[in-house]
Amino acid sequence: MRTKDLAYWLFLLPVLVALTIVVVAPLFLGVYYSFTDWNGIQTNNFVGFDNYVALFQDERFLDSLWFTVKFSVVSIFLINAIGLSLALLVTANLKSNKLLRTIFFMPNLIGGLILGFIWQFIFTKAFDGFGSLLGIESLQGWLSTSTTGFWALVILMSWQMSGYIMVIYIAYLEGISNELLEAAEIDGASPFQRFRLVVFPLVAPAFTVSMFLTLSNTFKLYDQNLSLTGGGPYNSTQMVAMEIFNTAFGRYEMAYAQSKAVIFFLIVAAIALLQVYISKKREVEM
Amino acid sequence: MKNKWRAGFLAASLGIAGVLAGCSSDGENSSSGDSSKDVKIDIFQFKVEFKDQFEAVAKAYEKENEGVDINITTVGGGEDYGAALRSKFASGNEPAIYNIGGPQDVSDWSDKLADLSGTAAADAAQKGSLDGVSVDGKVLGLPFNQEGYGFIYNKNVFEKAGIDPASIIDFASLEAAVKELDSQKADLGLESVFALPGKETWVTGLHLSNTFIAPEFDNNVLTAYESKTIDYKYGDAFKKILDLQNDYSAQPTVSLDYSKQVEELFSLQKVAMIQQGNWVYGSIAGIDEDFAANDIGLLPIPVEGYEGDSIPVGIPMYWGVNSNADEAVVEESKKFIDWLYTSDAGKETVLNDFKFIPAYEGYDSSKISDPLSKAVYEYAEQGKTIGWTFMGYPTGWGQDELGVQIQKYLSDEASWEEVIEATKESWESSRK
Repeated sequence: MRTKDLAYWLFLLPVLVALTIVVVAPLFLGVYYSFTDWNGIQTNNFVGFDNYVALFQDERFLDSLWFTVKFSVVSIFLINAIGLSLALLVTANLKSNKLLRTIFFMPNLIGGLILGFIWQFIFTKAFDGFGSLLGIESLQGWLSTSTTGFWALVILMSWQMSGYIMVIYIAYLEGISNELLEAAEIDGASPFQRFRLVVFPLVAPAFTVSMFLTLSNTFKLYDQNLSLTGGGPYNSTQMVAMEIFNTAFGRYEMAYAQSKAVIFFLIVAAIALLQVYISKKREVEM
Repeated sequence: MKNKWRAGFLAASLGIAGVLAGCSSDGENSSSGDSSKDVKIDIFQFKVEFKDQFEAVAKAYEKENEGVDINITTVGGGEDYGAALRSKFASGNEPAIYNIGGPQDVSDWSDKLADLSGTAAADAAQKGSLDGVSVDGKVLGLPFNQEGYGFIYNKNVFEKAGIDPASIIDFASLEAAVKELDSQKADLGLESVFALPGKETWVTGLHLSNTFIAPEFDNNVLTAYESKTIDYKYGDAFKKILDLQNDYSAQPTVSLDYSKQVEELFSLQKVAMIQQGNWVYGSIAGIDEDFAANDIGLLPIPVEGYEGDSIPVGIPMYWGVNSNADEAVVEESKKFIDWLYTSDAGKETVLNDFKFIPAYEGYDSSKISDPLSKAVYEYAEQGKTIGWTFMGYPTGWGQDELGVQIQKYLSDEASWEEVIEATKESWESSRK
């Protein structure tokens, strides 16, 4: 009924116009360009699916995609584990609760680029210094191999995002009524049993939220990647977003980069839709 | 009901007015210029280092030439100039003067470059400096300045180690000097002899490689640009210099970057030599001015089987004038560039304020202030130069392909033969 009202549409119009101009139109334009040989200056030919065919044989792109997947899986696991532990820590009856929450959340307030540079310093200088002082070789030469580059990125992301995820877990943990915990305690449940059998199932919905939040964040990562490793050594720590950017603005293969971006968009969209689907389903069950 | 309608209309019209206002063009402002005969020259340039000096010069020029309004926009340094220029053109707000790098840029922008032959600056340009921008007898760009690179060395360390820099004229003498330095490095207070920045793919993939690729293409950027293949005629010499730098470098080289190479290691005299160009003078002076002014010099990069005592000297960027601009704007733009490089006042600024190594004739070279630039100019005067051909590499090839392959080689992930093979292939596939 309300949607038939002209005033309803009039109120909506400004937002619709703005969205069309900055989101919908570029999206379609982008898809169109991915079928051409646009080089950023002019479009010469319509090339059909050539870009998409080339893309699935492009080792660089596939490597970066695989790296991104590996990175996302490991980070999701670590971020959620650390986030939950922190949440448990600050919901326990400690005196410094409030202060700790602030401290744990703080890394999230620093911009990704700057964090990348700070950690670059830590990995190449501080790690190196400790390494040569204590004679631990595995602490030296960080960021110069793809393994250390990978773990450096994981560490940076976990450190930055755990605090944010912690906040989500706190909300759920504080929603658990004390009666349940007390009842379990009276029944003789050990602290571990209480966590595993009472707390854990009750914060399960938070997992869905946090998992997809971390997934989409790690998948689309660009700035930390750029400032920490820059994709090096030999592009082995290059993630998809960065690979697309380099194709577009390093080699000026704009149309080709656009086709990669379309594929990337489809993947991210699929993840997002899956998230919506799963969380809706859970809501019904609850 | 009526009120709701009115509110709805108001919201819609306000919102859309806001959106449209954001898109409004400044067409009205520029058309009003006709009456007062003002010519507005929009300059879109990349060199952040001389932005202030350049703006000051433009002001001075405006004062001398009434009716000319120069508007300078600078995008460079950490920003990507090429991408910014593309979006500037795409936005319809086209600059009158902009920068182009080499043959690839010239062909990309060919529709939008005016012929500059016949200008005083084009006539005064040094021999060979216009090679990369001449198409069918037309001159589409005018050189910014000259730059050169080689092995920048620490004079003190060489003196203490008893090595005469003038004796380094080929690979064997360089290798001997490096070994000598390495054997004394504890006494000399050195961490290592070299600092090879493997992370900076422009140092390895563009500059170092050019030293060995340019001779193959007769030192001409256009030959490189038109070549369908690359043979690595001096590939062995290339490998030798790379190995020498890597073996005697601070480790790990693959993650060593510009600031560590130039500022941390060389400026603090922890290494004896680095492969860099005259542009690092500012960085070194920023750390130790005295050291920069008195104790650094430039050595050649020897190419075994070719020249042992030459350094690569070239034109990093050119000025291009937008042929889409109004006739009057194009004329005024040419006049401005002429004035900048050929008038006495302009020359003075180019040397003293910009601190450029001029790529034009008729300059007093003794006025070049820093030792590296002077050395580059002297090499150029004696004709001991290797051309800059990396502007003629396929787009992205030098850094994204060769530079990355060299990183693989430095991390023992690929053999030298694999590097050569992979980069040969990618050269050919992008020149199909």
